[in-house]
Amino acid sequence: MNMGIKNPVVKLIFFAILVIWSISVLYPLLWTLLDALKNNEQFFLNAPWAPPEFPLLWSNFSYVWNKYHFDVYFINSIVVTGGSTLLGLLLSATTAYVLARYKFKGSNGLYLLYISSMMVPFILALIPLFFLMDSMNLINTKIGLIFVYTSSVIAFGVFVLVGFFKSLPKELEEAAVIDGASHYGTFFRVMLPLSQPGLITVGIVNVLNIWNEYIVGTILINDPAQYTLPIEIGIMQAEMQYRTEWGPLFAALLMTIIPVLIVYIIFQKKIASGITAGAVK
Amino acid sequence: MKSVSEKLQRNLFIATFIVPTLVFFFIFTIYPVMQALYYSMFDWSGMSDTKDFIGFDNFTNMFKDPIVLRAIGNDYLLVAGKIVGIMVLATFFAVALTRFNFKLAGFFRSIFFIPNVISVVVIGVLWNFIYNPQIGFLNAFLSLFTEEKVTIAWLGFTSHTIYMLLPPAIWAGIGFYMILLIAAIQNIPESYYEAAQLEGASQWKQFRNITVPLIWEQMKVSIINIMMTTLNGSFVIVWIMTEGGPDNSTHVMGSYLYQMAFRQYHFGYAAAIGVLILVLSLITTVILQRLLRHESVELS
Repeated sequence: MNMGIKNPVVKLIFFAILVIWSISVLYPLLWTLLDALKNNEQFFLNAPWAPPEFPLLWSNFSYVWNKYHFDVYFINSIVVTGGSTLLGLLLSATTAYVLARYKFKGSNGLYLLYISSMMVPFILALIPLFFLMDSMNLINTKIGLIFVYTSSVIAFGVFVLVGFFKSLPKELEEAAVIDGASHYGTFFRVMLPLSQPGLITVGIVNVLNIWNEYIVGTILINDPAQYTLPIEIGIMQAEMQYRTEWGPLFAALLMTIIPVLIVYIIFQKKIASGITAGAVK
Repeated sequence: MKSVSEKLQRNLFIATFIVPTLVFFFIFTIYPVMQALYYSMFDWSGMSDTKDFIGFDNFTNMFKDPIVLRAIGNDYLLVAGKIVGIMVLATFFAVALTRFNFKLAGFFRSIFFIPNVISVVVIGVLWNFIYNPQIGFLNAFLSLFTEEKVTIAWLGFTSHTIYMLLPPAIWAGIGFYMILLIAAIQNIPESYYEAAQLEGASQWKQFRNITVPLIWEQMKVSIINIMMTTLNGSFVIVWIMTEGGPDNSTHVMGSYLYQMAFRQYHFGYAAAIGVLILVLSLITTVILQRLLRHESVELS
């Protein structure tokens, strides 16, 4: 039985704090939408919180989509995020399964290698990565970006999925082996389907991180045809100093946010469990 | 007794599941990290023929470089500000949404996490607009209370601008740690609180004597995680909002690394800054582990 707070004044103050923080989160989103429908004149003459004047400039969205080539960046972001998430899942699930279920020389060391790599700041690898990718002709390619992102999510995937595989009952595998299934058959037909909740959790967390990633993208990509959305947002922001198109900038922000918001709304619970699993280091 | 072929099959299986991942991880993560340690000992502008071995000179130069020292200070200012701001608010929200019986608790929780799914780049652009001197939110709001229009360039002061980066960083970070602490609080057996209530313990006493000791482990993880992600990742918000300016006053180690490498082509020096980030984050982890060691209670 949870009594909650008894003093009504205290309860009201606490509730007010929660409401204020909700507004501080939701209002910027609403205002991004409203400002995406304004022209420059309204930005300079009206208050920032003034609603957009009619006619609403929905054309800012098509302007960004066509003139700023967000059609290209959007596809690039989807390809890069999807590719690295899937490849990352495959590489981490296979290793995690073996580390969880097979004992062999060096298995503990290997596990420690992946876990301890999470302590190393990725920014340290940035400069060598640039030259490495350059020497492999992977600069300005989506596949190069996919490789680096995939590698950056392996440790987290291994960590969470080892825990997940260990939590699954061994009986199912034993039954599969008795039925004559090979090691591969056991993994792909029995274990992989069973581990779907874990895979989805890891996958969603990676999708969000990769979709939003900026540093690696900026360094490895300087050909506009290969930009992902965050790279272009960074460029647009820098250009705003001498080319003011505020409405389109906000339209661009919204286009970048909406896909992750949709993913978040659908997979909220999975994201929460991914955080909890990943933080128990 | 296992036959030879069975053993071979098992080893082959292990190899096919271990080796591709490891090779991949080696090429794109371990090898670059090793190389960074190596590059940090060179004076190198990016062309292979101008790479000169200079030992630890980059490191000794670093400690004579006022921008590096300022960047370290800025990094730790952000670390301290974020730890205090995020932990206070995240803990408050976590407790309020689990222990206080608010209706809408689930709704608040969903809302509060939203900033965490948005790219830091987007967050930086949004907050740039809030701080914009001509058309920004903050000045327009302040102008409501003054006769003349307020036109403060919030990001233009060499002495204070770094503080302006704290609100967006805290705003963007809270949801993640709130979710972590909520999970921890939900693991505490309800009977502990019931017993406390029978003895008439106030909500504050319950928080101090039950909640905090039992979620201390997660609070510790959160604090160390905030420190690490700040030292490793505050680069983005700095780069989007100020590019380290005005007059290099808001650089953090990460943004200075980026500027040195990809704007000024001092790759060796930049790699050394990367090594500095690694060393400082390891040292700080050890120090925080020791400072936060007490108070931990095992849930039996």
